[in-house]
Amino acid sequence: MYLGIDIGSTSTKAALIDGKANLVAQKVVNIGTGTNGLELVLAELLHEAGLTMEDVVYTVATGYGRLLCDIADKQITEISCHAKGVSYLVNGTGTIIDIGGQDSKVIRLDPLGRVANFAMNEKCAAGTGRFLEVMGRVLGCKLDELSDLAGASTREIQISSVCTVFAESEVISQLSMGTRREDVAKGALVSIAKRVAGLCKRVGVEPKVVMTGGVALNKNMVEAMSRELKEDVQAAPYTQAVGAIGAALFAMEAAEKKENNNG
Amino acid sequence: MMSNAVSIIQELEAIALSPYKSVMRTMKETGKEAIGCFPIYAPEELIYAAGMLPVGMWGGDTELKLADRYLQTFCCSIMRSNIEYSMKGAYDMLKAVIIPTFCDTLKCICENWKVSAPRIPVIPMVYPQNRRIDAGFVYMTEELERVRGALEEISEKPITDAMLEDAFAVYEAYRSAMREFVSVAAEHPEMINARSRHLIIKAAYFSDKKAYTDKINKLTEALKKESVKPFPGIKVVATGLIAEPPALLDIFAKNNVAIAADDLAQESRQFRTLSRSDGNVIQRLAWRIVDQQGCTFLYEVEKTRGQMLIEQVRKTGSKGVVVFMMKFCDPEEFDYPIYKEELERAGIPVLYLETEQQMDSFAQIETRVQSFAEMLA
Repeated sequence: MYLGIDIGSTSTKAALIDGKANLVAQKVVNIGTGTNGLELVLAELLHEAGLTMEDVVYTVATGYGRLLCDIADKQITEISCHAKGVSYLVNGTGTIIDIGGQDSKVIRLDPLGRVANFAMNEKCAAGTGRFLEVMGRVLGCKLDELSDLAGASTREIQISSVCTVFAESEVISQLSMGTRREDVAKGALVSIAKRVAGLCKRVGVEPKVVMTGGVALNKNMVEAMSRELKEDVQAAPYTQAVGAIGAALFAMEAAEKKENNNG
Repeated sequence: MMSNAVSIIQELEAIALSPYKSVMRTMKETGKEAIGCFPIYAPEELIYAAGMLPVGMWGGDTELKLADRYLQTFCCSIMRSNIEYSMKGAYDMLKAVIIPTFCDTLKCICENWKVSAPRIPVIPMVYPQNRRIDAGFVYMTEELERVRGALEEISEKPITDAMLEDAFAVYEAYRSAMREFVSVAAEHPEMINARSRHLIIKAAYFSDKKAYTDKINKLTEALKKESVKPFPGIKVVATGLIAEPPALLDIFAKNNVAIAADDLAQESRQFRTLSRSDGNVIQRLAWRIVDQQGCTFLYEVEKTRGQMLIEQVRKTGSKGVVVFMMKFCDPEEFDYPIYKEELERAGIPVLYLETEQQMDSFAQIETRVQSFAEMLA
């Protein structure tokens, strides 16, 4: 059995792959690096699969916390792991948009599903899940409620600031002027989509476009992204666990390579 | 022989990592007074000919607490660091500073300097925008003569033509040694990793060029005696203003990414252009600026940088180009879209890293560098 672990800034994900590259189990806990998220996610994952760590042959860690994951045999970046995971889950993917808790990435794949180019946001929360968290707090709703709120919008308002801090002030001003929460929520999603679309243009967009990461659970966000790019955008299956699944696939390859070298 | 190379590498790295201490020691050893040289190009030969020590002023990792009094936060961190250091007294050993006006920030720095370090005189220097027309060339020689006069006043002795010839010869030997070093170092990434390469080159800014050149020649000779070993990582070409802070380069070493060649303003742009042999030294200094290619700080209609990078990649067997983009460096940012497109058209992957001298979190950059290495492996 091969284990992939993705320790992000706001969540920890794990996936198990068997020797024939079948996905056995995947789990997500919503606490990230520097917490006991790894212990929790592994306990849930192994429980569901009916396995123990003894059954794991090789482990690859990815994500922001990958370098501190001492149970891993190897560390591979989330860019490579998302590419691997998406290629496995969605055939023919050309571009991946991964909006995580504290950064966003655009990955362009070659026809063989390998990374051809990538771009990441700079040190700024604009265009990341953190931006949505801040907006959710101002609007008095949970992150998973933001999508439904935006879905009820009847008028799109523009959030012009690209900075999360200034955007927060802008949203408060909008609310104080009587703008509906639903319209502000929609404006927040469009704001992120515009920011990420700029990132996409740096590497070039090739269809099919697939979104990964927790933000892709927000269906109105996926739609907003699609509108900005003027391309069909779909959320990946197991959208939060894609990186962990990719890591597990890398674990399988690394173990096979090791075995071949030993043999 | 290998231990000889290692000890020279360690010595040069130590010099680069402690600029203040290194300059003080060089001043003591040579008995020379020091003149600070702001980026990008300063006529160091004139300073050397005057019997003084040219010292590179390329900022550093100092906490910015005072500089904001004179510089906005959107000025590049090299300039902010230089002003900060001046206000903290780190440059008090300097007899004067030469400030060329290569960018909008540098144009204003001369005035900032007068208030941030009023005790250290400033010699401003304006290079011609149109360096390749006759008028531009003549103007540049006159500007160099003016700086020569200013240095004569500071050193209180004339700089004769013979002194200029001697200094020029020292710098020619230095430039030749550096060209050979970077070429030989590219074959030994196991010994000269990205961090070492940068620090070895940087050490020149705080050393007497003659003594430094001797060390570089010894190091190159020692490297040449080493057999060329297969490198398990990837080689890249670096471009940009400066590849700092050193912790950033540790990430390259950790991920087995070696810098096989560079187009960095602080590094190879200082010595890659061959000098002409005709004319007097002042004219040869001016020709060096005229002949420099692919540098965003020297206006160039043809925009040769992209093609030059492509050739460097092919010549060194590199797999990509890493752009060290100093945040708020407008000239470098202006060039980027042009050469990025050319590189991509040539099928050469590009990694863009936005840097500042005051960086304390490298996690995101580590992900980028590791991903780039994984992508190219």
